[in-house]
Amino acid sequence: MSSLQGAVETAAPVSGLHERQSYDPADFGVPTGREEEWRFTPLRRLRGLHGDAPLPECKVTVETDPAPEVISGHAKRGDPRLGRSFVPADRVSARAFASFAEATVITVPAGAVASRPTMVSVRGEESTGAAFGHTLIQLEPNASAVVVLDHQGSTTYADNVELVIGDGAQLTVVSLQDWADDAVHLSHHHARLGRDARLTHTAVTLGGSVVRLAPSVSYAGPGGDAELRGLYFADAGQHLEHRLYVDHSQRNCRSRVSYKGALQGQDAHAVWIGDVAIRPEATGTDTYEDNRNLVLTDGTRVDSVPNLEILTGEVAKAGHASTSGRLEDQHLFYLMTRGISFDDARRLVIRGFFGQMIAQIEVPQLRERITAAVEAELA
Amino acid sequence: MTEPVYLRACPLADVPQDGAHGVEIDGVPVALIRTGDEIFALHDVCSHEEVPLSEGEIYDHTVECWLHGSCFDLRTGKPTGPPATAPVATYPCRIVGDEVYVSLP
Repeated sequence: MSSLQGAVETAAPVSGLHERQSYDPADFGVPTGREEEWRFTPLRRLRGLHGDAPLPECKVTVETDPAPEVISGHAKRGDPRLGRSFVPADRVSARAFASFAEATVITVPAGAVASRPTMVSVRGEESTGAAFGHTLIQLEPNASAVVVLDHQGSTTYADNVELVIGDGAQLTVVSLQDWADDAVHLSHHHARLGRDARLTHTAVTLGGSVVRLAPSVSYAGPGGDAELRGLYFADAGQHLEHRLYVDHSQRNCRSRVSYKGALQGQDAHAVWIGDVAIRPEATGTDTYEDNRNLVLTDGTRVDSVPNLEILTGEVAKAGHASTSGRLEDQHLFYLMTRGISFDDARRLVIRGFFGQMIAQIEVPQLRERITAAVEAELA
Repeated sequence: MTEPVYLRACPLADVPQDGAHGVEIDGVPVALIRTGDEIFALHDVCSHEEVPLSEGEIYDHTVECWLHGSCFDLRTGKPTGPPATAPVATYPCRIVGDEVYVSLP
């Protein structure tokens, strides 16, 4: 009998990348850049956010414009509502959780359906020093809401965003990183989905010197459905990094991850890490993740690493894909045979590449703003 | 044409013979490398991954990155061995007295 027991997989995922968790930054040690989770990030450009030296404070203003059905408030660090849905899994996340002064708390009461998007504006005022933030967005059972996180200005900022989605609730989050050229932003979004809850999370990263955004999803009950989308455009010198993690620990949950990006200019760098773990108990899981990169000029760099770790044989679907490539000559040639100039043809193909992603964003004003921003990059 | 401005990098004694020393000048990481009686200055980040070249090995006018073995010519910064395919920047440098001076672009 004992020999048979050894054949049953009961262990936690073997990668261990997301397994070390602590609220204490000291438990992680200062990264050197050799660690798997930091090896793509230019640590010297983080202005000490990953270090242990105290940093002078820089000002970040957070303003909330809630829908009428939504309750918006604040909470001090140590408030029992905060930090229940996650444990930080890297040093900067732990440091942000140990350092923020006041959290923004957005609550959607049970059964309430928000009639318009709730806007949260995060504005950086200066880039010297560092700022830490925390946001909790909680949906009680069967609530429904759209929340937009709009980041602008100059800053050195690290924060955690908790998305706690009750049973049967539906949350749509759009996080727009539209920072000034000198901004450094390291952010973790932690979503916890209740039974039959649904999350649509869209990250749009256009501005900033270094942006590292790590959305993660965990499930508290069966039937959860998470849709994670992303769009980024890296210009010369920009480092835009997205690290996705979906932890399937409940049966019959679904996840979809789809990120699209374009790069142009010397030393434009995009990093995409897409991790999915399917634990032994998560039977009936349906997951797919993909990343598409369009390299528009020489001198850019893309690192795209999808990882799937499947610890049960009873999955519904599990797959991943990644591509990084140039514009296709044949597409351009076809358009040019129709009398369209090279520049217009190039713009049309790129517009098509991003078009579907932008069309899925639920907030019309944002669709227009993002379309205009992408057009401006191509001008 | 304006004269290049040379900035003080470090005492010559900090750079070991046939070895390297990493410094930061105006926020730019620079690897100072001594071989024979020559001194070279290269951008201190491998063009392959985020690794300081000043931690690499020096031989035959070459620095070899310790992590993946990319090699670069000290005189030109051009890659002489994979996996790196792009050059690293080189900077003019000189020894004045007991000090090393580097000119950044």
